[in-house]
Amino acid sequence: MSIAFAITMAAILATMALALVRASLGPTVFDRILALNMFGTKTVLLISVIGFMTERPDFLDLALLYALMNFIGIVAVMRFTKYGHFADVDAQEGAR
Amino acid sequence: MDLLFDFLSVICLIGGCCFALIGGIGILRLPDFFSRLHGGGITDTLGAGLIMLGLMLQSIKVGLTHEMSASPWLVTVKLLMILLFLFVTSPTGCHALARAALSDGLEPATVDDEEQPTP
Amino acid sequence: MHDAAIHAIVILLLGLLLGTAIVIVRMRELWAAVMLTGIYSFLGASWMLLLDAPDVAFTEAAVGAGISTFLMLSTLALTNRRAKPQPGLSPVPLVVVILTGATLIYGTFDMPHYGDPDAPAHRHMAPEFLADEVKHIQDAEHPEGKPVKVDVGNIITSVLASYRGYDTLGETVVIFTAGIGVLLLLRGEPREDPSEDASEEPSEDAP
Repeated sequence: MSIAFAITMAAILATMALALVRASLGPTVFDRILALNMFGTKTVLLISVIGFMTERPDFLDLALLYALMNFIGIVAVMRFTKYGHFADVDAQEGAR
Repeated sequence: MDLLFDFLSVICLIGGCCFALIGGIGILRLPDFFSRLHGGGITDTLGAGLIMLGLMLQSIKVGLTHEMSASPWLVTVKLLMILLFLFVTSPTGCHALARAALSDGLEPATVDDEEQPTP
Repeated sequence: MHDAAIHAIVILLLGLLLGTAIVIVRMRELWAAVMLTGIYSFLGASWMLLLDAPDVAFTEAAVGAGISTFLMLSTLALTNRRAKPQPGLSPVPLVVVILTGATLIYGTFDMPHYGDPDAPAHRHMAPEFLADEVKHIQDAEHPEGKPVKVDVGNIITSVLASYRGYDTLGETVVIFTAGIGVLLLLRGEPREDPSEDASEEPSEDAP
């Protein structure tokens, strides 16, 4: 069973490497944001599999938190790329 | 019983790996940003879904057969929550990304400009 | 088999870390470099999890991939988005870095192995901290002394907050000051508002 976990981890690491190549190549900034999103999701999966492999189910809390932070980070980066600031688009300037 | 769960979970894990790798290759080889979104979406839904399903089968197996402590049902529910969260946020993120790219002026490559070199 | 798999995964992770670092250093497009530092923090957090340190991994992810990326993006909005090209390969900094690195690596040869039970930290300090946690009370039922928890219940909290309390106080002050400084720098951008400039003038002229 641990062989299957090891193969899974190797495959996830390979996908991370591919996303990294896209993040360094990508001609537009949106390619990079996409690669960052994929990287975050793969990290969540990697942590879950590590938790199962080392018999520590506490890592799942960390994985859940990483998933949350990845999502909020991606939305913030996109908002910043598009508008140049983090404040609410409809609210007044500096209301954040 | 143990063997059945192990077999099913190994199948799910390997399947999830294959889809994750397919998505990774796709994000590298596809010609345009909007087609690369497909690659990202595949890993986040099918790849993540199958891997999490394999892990859930593992924890269900522990819960059903071993009667150990540390509540393996809690682990199963946590995995399910992570999976549901990934299902909801990843497609939303990809959709928001596509909208931001469109409103920024990025045009999807059509059949007409296939003679241009792609990166 | 289990350990060999973990070792292989750790080597692969560290290889990815090295690759990311090289790409960050060579990239001239600063926006992309900031996003790659987010990727670097995610990788670092995964590696720390493999080293059995989930609290450090959580801090690394929260600070590196969360706050640090935002702060650097906010700063990038105030400056250029491309770095100027480097003049070329200069040998003196390279030699200095290699010498310093070699000296540091040579210094680690004297350190005890990772997780060694004979290390001084495990022989002298840890039993002291453990003894601090527990006090033996003698009463009628337990003539040899019943162990009772005193003060802080958690070992790590007792080291951080009680034995090394001043250290923690200093760290909190430093981080607080750094946060205030960064906030002032990022919010202190003068607005293109003529009314604000006019209101600032009299206060500057006042003696």
